Amino acid sequence: MKAWRGKCLVVDLTRGLIKTASLPRRLLESFMGGRGLGVKLVYDLAPRRVDAYHEDNVIVLSTGPLTGTKFYGSHRFAVVSKSPLTGTIFDSSCGGEWGSQLKAAGLDALVIRGRAKALSALIIDEGEARMVNVEHMAGLSTVEAEAQLQRDLGREFRVVCIGPAGENLVRMACIRAGEGHVAGRGGLGAVMGSKRVKAIAVRGSKSLEVHDEEKLRNLCLLAFKRLQSNPITGKALPSLGTSFLLRLINEHRMLPAYNYKQPFFEGSHEISAEIFKSSFYKRRKGCPNCPIACKRLVEVDGVEGSQPEFESLWALGPACGLSSPKELIELTWLCDKLGLDTISTGATIACAMELTELGLLRPGVGWGDSEAMKKLLVDVANRRELGDLLAEGSRRLAERLGKPEVSMNVKGLELPAYDPRGVYGQALAYATSNRGGCHLRAYMVAGEVLGVPVLLDRRDPVGKAELVAFYENFFAAIDSMVVCKFLALELDEEVFAEALKAATGLPFTKASLLEIGERIYNLERLFNVEEGFSRVHDTLPERILCSPDAPPLSDMLKAYYAVRGWSEEGVPSEDKLIELGLPGERVEV
Amino acid sequence: MRCSGLREYVYRLLRYYGGLLSRHGYVAGHGGNLSLRSGGSIYITRHGARLEDLRPDDVIEVPLEGPSSLDAIASSEILLHRAVYLNGAQHLAIVHTHSLYATAASYFLDELKPLDVESAYVLRSIPIVEGPAGSAKLAERVAEALKDHHAVVVRGHGVFTAAKVMDVAYRYACLVERSAMLWFLVETLKAQGLSQREVKEL
Repeated sequence: MKAWRGKCLVVDLTRGLIKTASLPRRLLESFMGGRGLGVKLVYDLAPRRVDAYHEDNVIVLSTGPLTGTKFYGSHRFAVVSKSPLTGTIFDSSCGGEWGSQLKAAGLDALVIRGRAKALSALIIDEGEARMVNVEHMAGLSTVEAEAQLQRDLGREFRVVCIGPAGENLVRMACIRAGEGHVAGRGGLGAVMGSKRVKAIAVRGSKSLEVHDEEKLRNLCLLAFKRLQSNPITGKALPSLGTSFLLRLINEHRMLPAYNYKQPFFEGSHEISAEIFKSSFYKRRKGCPNCPIACKRLVEVDGVEGSQPEFESLWALGPACGLSSPKELIELTWLCDKLGLDTISTGATIACAMELTELGLLRPGVGWGDSEAMKKLLVDVANRRELGDLLAEGSRRLAERLGKPEVSMNVKGLELPAYDPRGVYGQALAYATSNRGGCHLRAYMVAGEVLGVPVLLDRRDPVGKAELVAFYENFFAAIDSMVVCKFLALELDEEVFAEALKAATGLPFTKASLLEIGERIYNLERLFNVEEGFSRVHDTLPERILCSPDAPPLSDMLKAYYAVRGWSEEGVPSEDKLIELGLPGERVEV
Repeated sequence: MRCSGLREYVYRLLRYYGGLLSRHGYVAGHGGNLSLRSGGSIYITRHGARLEDLRPDDVIEVPLEGPSSLDAIASSEILLHRAVYLNGAQHLAIVHTHSLYATAASYFLDELKPLDVESAYVLRSIPIVEGPAGSAKLAERVAEALKDHHAVVVRGHGVFTAAKVMDVAYRYACLVERSAMLWFLVETLKAQGLSQREVKEL
């Protein structure tokens, strides 16, 4: 088998068992790796209708056939589990070098089930694994935990870990994989915390055999030229990072501020990419072997760290009425250390700010009050005082205070920075997303605003159902290879199919790639249906649907279900499941 | 995007000239771009916009000194437009077309010499340069050429013209294509064995 290892590590924390299991070729060909493999393993191994924190829930960290190859953007991995925030199946893609290290250790994936008796770390050294007690690391920040493990084990180890938020089962806890890299959304850090796994350190040096090294290299040359000529991947991202989106989205009056009460932020110029570049910028940084290198390092008061990404800037900035770049840098760094997803955390604080304004939360937190926000972040991560309420996420917070409509979520996941009133395709993608209010299932903003690969009329609903389904499938495949989605702003499915063919030697085509994506998307949907999700959950917040420029969601949904081959209730039809071979042979590990 | 005041005026102007260029067949699909300079800003057509039917969202304002966040959705030739506006020639409007005859002529010539009286009088000569679309190199070459010329053809790509007002830049674009068509016809007739008579005074 080329490009895959054909092996996964299975860790049963309750029984204290660790073993290596084979991954059948057929399974890898049908689900590829990363998100797809993770979804299949969680679907088969985790019982339905159990709480995300139950010891029977399973968390999978998985790489794909392109992970660790020389293809661009391919050092990534996926984390998949049932989310404590949404109750849906949930995957999160993460950069850095942890994924390629796992592959170099001889493994495609890691399956963790059960619950450890004490706070533990999993150490994987060249494929040999052991659990160690790390009770002494309880309460350490993500940065401290990573540093300590690298001190103890060696700097060549790559570490994913959780902070206090994950340990305290905060529903929006993330998993950090080194400076600037997190599996952010859905509270998967809390699932790790529920299993009492503080960190997973991995080291590997096994070379990876691919089918046609030269073809892969030539594809990179072709990809490089195309990525350079694209205005987003060739200019905006390399020169300004993702924060270039802030002013751009605000100009379109699509940057929701003050908990989505208005579609623009008056202080956007103060926190624009240009300000970060002129006042805080130190240097560019990127994942290994990436021609885009979108990450940037900034310096504040002599301390260097990652520049906040666009979504983080928005969630802790405009969504909360804050326009101080220095405060925003400090807030995002604090979230990173505490192990909190910046988007859901910022959006939940924004929700609390509105509830405070309505007189429902006392003592609450006022718009733009950065000092109160800093204290609140620490309290959320440690589940103290008001922070304990917010640690449940915006939906549970607003429901508890009798104002569910104040939470701007879909299926419990807080909406990100693109106001769906201005982009109808993205609106549909939010509503139908298998993991809730997420912009990355089908990033329709690319076509509807950025004009790549083609500029679409953002307020035209015609054809959007087909495009959303197409991109959901395409991105499910991308997340399963696993490569960075930014590549897909320029490269089409043909290039990725060729890359897979070169890596694995298997006859991947555009059509087979999209079919795998469709299979993965439908299996996720099936999981959610079995968890009780249906059409009523494929919706948008009342504030969006009741506004004069609301997208025609009902009509678009009807078209979408038809395109998908699902029933009017949003359930995959028997024919569709047979066509895709779902749910497929049950995996036993 | 909000469309009021100066922006509204710019939008109407670009829409008008985009429509004219399209009707001539100088641009089609997503080809070509237009820009105006006003104050410290450049108003340029959006990446992927159709000049034949511009919408208010298709006019992007970016700073003259740039680069900026909004460059990401501006025409992919934004670097070139900026370089032309900053080349010292005080241009205020730029037209870029994918005119067929001019592009065809560019495969055979290093300079297009207009043959007819009006074009020769107005344009004098039209240099032909090379460079990858959207690149800094091409921006530099076109900006240099438009210091002393009203128009330039990029080999295998299309025409760039610059002027103080959009109407004049548009006129230059028309004259370039007319010159190229005339060159093509003359060369075709010559190839048929007809002998060319020199026009003494152009």
